[in-house]
Amino acid sequence: MRVVVDADRCVGHGRCYALAPEVFAADDHGHCVILVPEPSGAAAQQARIAAENCPESAIRCTD
Amino acid sequence: MPATPEPGADPIQLMVDPAVAAAPQPFYAHLRDRCPVARSAGINGEAVFVSRHEDVSWALRHPEVFSSAAEAVDIGQEQPLIPLQVDPPDHARYRRLLDPEFSPRTVATLEEEARVLVNRLIDRFADRGACDFHEEFATPLPSTLFLTIAGLPHDDLPTFLRWRDNTIRPDVAPGDVEAAARIRAQTSHEISEYFTAAIAERRARPDDRLLSRIVHAEVEGQRLSDTELLGICHLLLLGGLDTVTATLDCMIAYLARHPDRRRRIVEDPGRVPGAIEELLRWETPVQVVPRIVAQDVTLRDVTIPAGTHAVLVLGAANTDPAEFTGADVVDFDRPRNRHLAFGGGPHRCLGSHLARFELRVAIEEFHRRIPDYDLAPGAELRWSPGIRQADALPLEWDPGR
Repeated sequence: MRVVVDADRCVGHGRCYALAPEVFAADDHGHCVILVPEPSGAAAQQARIAAENCPESAIRCTD
Repeated sequence: MPATPEPGADPIQLMVDPAVAAAPQPFYAHLRDRCPVARSAGINGEAVFVSRHEDVSWALRHPEVFSSAAEAVDIGQEQPLIPLQVDPPDHARYRRLLDPEFSPRTVATLEEEARVLVNRLIDRFADRGACDFHEEFATPLPSTLFLTIAGLPHDDLPTFLRWRDNTIRPDVAPGDVEAAARIRAQTSHEISEYFTAAIAERRARPDDRLLSRIVHAEVEGQRLSDTELLGICHLLLLGGLDTVTATLDCMIAYLARHPDRRRRIVEDPGRVPGAIEELLRWETPVQVVPRIVAQDVTLRDVTIPAGTHAVLVLGAANTDPAEFTGADVVDFDRPRNRHLAFGGGPHRCLGSHLARFELRVAIEEFHRRIPDYDLAPGAELRWSPGIRQADALPLEWDPGR
């Protein structure tokens, strides 16, 4: 699975790195950075949950 | 009892009626279902209330249409509140400076200090078996932390709380907008005077706390002007003192009334973050955010002309069944929760990471120390509308347990 974040949409809610700490982290501004661009297994499941919970719909997961 | 609105009720009731503020969800449903873009006579002139999740979310992400400029809300401020009342693109320079001060990493450095403070507050009432949670915990916690973060003297707390109340809920006869405006203008002036002196002091004697850091910070090679610094200080004061207090009131009142839910977080503190997100959604302590329409826009067949005041009803968006499965059910394990309790788009609450951190530490420690509590018998809670906080929140428990 591949994870992409639209940096123009991300405003730093921080739901992704709270829910999927194996896949996402916070930068110095609290915006998200991708740690693992192609997660698998439990990490992929985390990434899907993060995408579902992003209030800005900034995260896309593609198989 | 939840107030069921009369058909055709003016949506402004949301912002003036304590009975609605006590349990606003039925009112939200009424707005969403009957009139998702609703005209109101308003308080200081006409306004349009927007209540569906899809529309509120869009409006928050389009400040070029739904502007957050100073005209959106008049609290007697002497300069725009920064960064809230500056829209993109200028807004970004202030957020670049301030976001790192409130990032998860910065906030995490406060963990030990916050736990000590929380426990010191609980020490004062744990053995008594009773407290006014609002007065003795929800009020001093965020405001004391704010003073610590900013590097301001704790002795000034009563003054700050007076300014907060004068601004957000001035003590006037219902509907007396002139008296409210007078109190707010006088308060804003006092706030400006206080921070003008504090800024000069930090210029002369820098320290490592927030106020001093922003006084000496450079944005694109330039120091901030006094006007910019005052705009930032004024906003931090309002945001830092009021919203977490209201949120703690909302959450503890809910948990006091729902012991089954409370027991689950007592038994497994790992569930606290999920509980916080769900109660942020369900309770939505900051019920609305104001905007000013910057260009004519048509929303659900309603044309809203430029210059109209708009009220984005976050609480209605957060209980919208079109977005949330089982929207009326409180579910701490909700798998999909795109709530807008901290707003969204470029003006997403600057302090949201600090707020979540304070809420987590507070709820973890409170339930570790006092796992079983009730509302005091006969207590009738009175909630102030707009930002839902309780006038008093009397709790009781068995101190022997």
